Amino acid sequence: MDEEPERAKRWEGGYERTWEVLKEDESGSLKATVEDILFQSKRKRVIENHGQVRLGMMRHLYVLIDCSRSMEDQDLKPNRLASTLKLMEAFVDEYFDQNPISQVGIITTKNKRAEKLTDLAGNPKKHIAALKKAVDTLCVGEPSLYNSLNLAIQTLKHMPGHTSREILIILSSLTTCDPASIYELIKTLKSLKVRVSVIGLSAEVRVCTVLTRETGGSYHVILDESHFRELLMLHVKPPPASSSSECSLIRMGFPQHTIASLTDQGAKPSFSMSHLDNSSGPGLSLEGYFCPQCHAKYTELPVECKVCGLTLVLAPHLARSFHHLFPLQAFTESSVEELQEDRFCQACQGELKDKIIFTCPSCRSVFCVECDLFIHDSLHCCPCCIHSQSTS
Amino acid sequence: MKLNIDGLLVYFPYDYIYPEQYSYMLELKRTLDAKGHGVLEMPSGTGKTISLLSLIVAYQKAFPLEVTKLIYCSRTVPEIEKVVEELRKLMEFYCKQTGESNNFLALALSSRKNLCIHPEIMHANIVVYSYHYLLDPKIADLVSKELAKKSVVVFDEAHNIDNVCIDSMSVNITRRTLDRCQNNVDTLQNTISKIKETDAAKLKEEYRRLVEGLKEANVARETDVYLANPVLPDEILQEAVPGTIRTAEHFVGFLRRFMEYLKSRLRVHHVVQESTPQFLKDIFEKVCIDRKPLRFCAERLQSLLRTLEIADIADFSAVTLIANFATLVSTYSQGFTIIIEPFEDRTPTIANPVLHFSCMDPSIAIKPVFQRFQSVVITSGTLSPLDIYPRILDFRPVTMASFTMTLARTCLCPLIVGRGNDQVALSSKFETREDFAVIRNYGNLLLEMSAIVPDGIVAFFTSYMYMENIVASWYEQGILENIQRNKLIFIETPDAAETSMALEKYQEACENGRGAILLSVARGKVSEGIDFVHHFGRAVIMFGVPYVYTQSRILKARLEYLRDHFQIRENDFLTFDAMRHAAQCVGRAIRGKTDYGLMIFADKRYARADKRGKLPRWIQEHISDGSLNLTVDEAIQLSKHFLRQMAQPFRQEDQLGLSLLTLEQLESEEVLQKIAKIAHQT
Repeated sequence: MDEEPERAKRWEGGYERTWEVLKEDESGSLKATVEDILFQSKRKRVIENHGQVRLGMMRHLYVLIDCSRSMEDQDLKPNRLASTLKLMEAFVDEYFDQNPISQVGIITTKNKRAEKLTDLAGNPKKHIAALKKAVDTLCVGEPSLYNSLNLAIQTLKHMPGHTSREILIILSSLTTCDPASIYELIKTLKSLKVRVSVIGLSAEVRVCTVLTRETGGSYHVILDESHFRELLMLHVKPPPASSSSECSLIRMGFPQHTIASLTDQGAKPSFSMSHLDNSSGPGLSLEGYFCPQCHAKYTELPVECKVCGLTLVLAPHLARSFHHLFPLQAFTESSVEELQEDRFCQACQGELKDKIIFTCPSCRSVFCVECDLFIHDSLHCCPCCIHSQSTS
Repeated sequence: MKLNIDGLLVYFPYDYIYPEQYSYMLELKRTLDAKGHGVLEMPSGTGKTISLLSLIVAYQKAFPLEVTKLIYCSRTVPEIEKVVEELRKLMEFYCKQTGESNNFLALALSSRKNLCIHPEIMHANIVVYSYHYLLDPKIADLVSKELAKKSVVVFDEAHNIDNVCIDSMSVNITRRTLDRCQNNVDTLQNTISKIKETDAAKLKEEYRRLVEGLKEANVARETDVYLANPVLPDEILQEAVPGTIRTAEHFVGFLRRFMEYLKSRLRVHHVVQESTPQFLKDIFEKVCIDRKPLRFCAERLQSLLRTLEIADIADFSAVTLIANFATLVSTYSQGFTIIIEPFEDRTPTIANPVLHFSCMDPSIAIKPVFQRFQSVVITSGTLSPLDIYPRILDFRPVTMASFTMTLARTCLCPLIVGRGNDQVALSSKFETREDFAVIRNYGNLLLEMSAIVPDGIVAFFTSYMYMENIVASWYEQGILENIQRNKLIFIETPDAAETSMALEKYQEACENGRGAILLSVARGKVSEGIDFVHHFGRAVIMFGVPYVYTQSRILKARLEYLRDHFQIRENDFLTFDAMRHAAQCVGRAIRGKTDYGLMIFADKRYARADKRGKLPRWIQEHISDGSLNLTVDEAIQLSKHFLRQMAQPFRQEDQLGLSLLTLEQLESEEVLQKIAKIAHQT
């Protein structure tokens, strides 16, 4: 957060006429600025999340990254591709932080073709490494929505019914070069219950509107880099599970991390199962997680056991996913004029400058917009409530 | 919802209303109250049709004696269908609200195959049909003659009404027309001689009628039963048909003589332009045809065709045309001109003589309409400048108002691009037409736009010839190839089938994400009547100012006439005409409040106040001083920004209270004050 300023730096922004923005504000309520509308939608997101909905906790997400000619555009700094990949790294981190028992795969598309950058997997490291490597890719030709969606479907359709199947497209180009009618493919996606969301980097494209509307995804277009980050982070939260997805009990293993002490004579160093297929990485080690079913060793969790297919997780992983199910209540919105006491936000201790303030319904503490968002998006609990609980 | 418009209860079939609709209805009510004519401009996509219908229907219900009929004229069949659809909604709403069954009868006239001749339809409360049924004297006589005086006439999409009037009164005669006319006359001759053998009494009866004169018609007109027909002037009603053409054979002989005269006139080698009195004098000297029988020609032919009981009148279109021409040329000494050209301008080597009998005064055709009906409303999305229409149509409106579009977000972005990136002035004016720098910069503009605008772009050129030149030049410079990397290119041609094919493929390409550019021509088929909603037109680029081809003799004559009789300077009229077409073109992209689009005027002349001031107010108010003389780069930056802003989610709640009102909101003081500002009186 600290290294990223609120908005892109002035000199990095596009050509704009600040004097005109000023004029618009003065001319009164007729022209509600887009900022206002955006603010409203931000709030809406917080409010919408509440209520007990079933969420798809086990997610299978394919991210399609457009690597076509238009990604070389420099309206994001240093260019669209580099900026996207950097944000993607942050996204992958955040994604696994919030959805520990989910998986991600990355597909790139350029020159009318689609390529898999990484397969669906639950390990952030591999993805981030691949993303770092991808910075040097040459951006050429047009993207192909059809080919890349098709590639994603090939894997997603084999995923079990109780998990969510999602595709997130980051599209910079305004055209797509398809070998067949994409509307047929949209039907297939719909029947397979794949949710497709799109983040556009340049403008609203009709085919994406239809694609997202039909498959129940969301469609957003970025305004600048910070908005881009915001939109990406929207996809960190698990989507509501569709009512038609199957319910089933899932067997999970909770292996304990065992460190064989060096003094123990019986301890034998062993290979991690996850290192079997790629030669790189550390080889023999003493410690690790042992599958409770077959005793295969893994150095990292969560993972699906290669031997017996059991999902291996840690209890904290599940706990982290837990807050999605019991979200924090929405704070009540009120005008700053109604406030009798000092006009300070209880969280950041800053002065309340905006016209609207937010009050926690249980402890009556007052927060500013930014803190309200932070509490609901990241903390998931009201700091004042926690504070009073611990003191009492 | 139920509205209270200045004391009148209006049922409005939707739950929400735009502020400008309310304002529009207020103005309309004022017009009806005053029993006068009105000129109202309101942007397309803001619900003009339903506002008009619901107010006038309410008015009819409240004051059944004041207004008996609504005559709604529109341009094309799809538009007529749209009106009927809205009307159906309105009627359903009435039924639901009042619980009464529908006692309103509406009638849409489109073509003969949908025609109903049940006598009850004479009493229809609402008639929806095409302009021509009211303006074209040939059709109006059949269809609209008996419409009651207390009707309200609405001309929708009326920005071109003067041209419709002129076309309906103008006659073009070529050799082919005369040949077909010859056949017609021969058929007439044969039929007459046949009838003479079998049923001579019939012809005698006709003769007797003609002697008595056109008394009936005269009585009818004096008692105000019929709509006056401009082809049937008042004076001749008081007279009897002259003896020279009273018998059928004489009349046919007369027609032959007239035709031979026209044939001889078409054998010219140079251009002739003369006034109607000159023409009459010449015809009298050459073939001894007097003015008087000529004036009765149209009426006489009608009578003959009736007597001979000829069913298929369409076969006799050529002779009817000639007869109408004869009547018009002998009736009006002013407002018309005759131009005989031995060849077309484009093909000076091929002899193709044409006699243009051209009307220069649109008020002649529309005059009976204004005189007869108590309220005539002229409305369209683009009627600016408002005051010119009453002048050229010669009437006195009681209300003239222009409404803007209230918007929760500025969904239109007009930009005037006056310079290329190399600072070369962009203009389509004659001197720089061949200039490579200008053409290259135009190409550059289109190329850059094609890279940032999603889905469809429509580009308009000033003429086919100009488009051909530019596209050829772009091809040579390789610009076209670069554009095609971003979008497919489709081109409008004068051929209707080709164009509709191109249009279909264009829409397909917009739909499936490939993106497309449609290159078309202002004043062409695409610029009028084809809407590019949402993704079908995210940007409209107007290359140059679409001035009409000024070398045409007909236009020159008309300009001269306008100057002499209406004190409208040539330049003013030309600019007005160019700007209304430009406004029509760019207006194609915005078809409602949820729609959005860029409007790019690529010519530095648009920045001048005399051009800009003639754009409709709803476009003008969004042109800021800063966007008057942009370079291509600046325009691209602004467009990029605009497109991103517009792509942000936009829901109905965002509009509510600003550009969309519920009944409660409508009744608040504050809103009413705002509404009062929307109508811009002139």
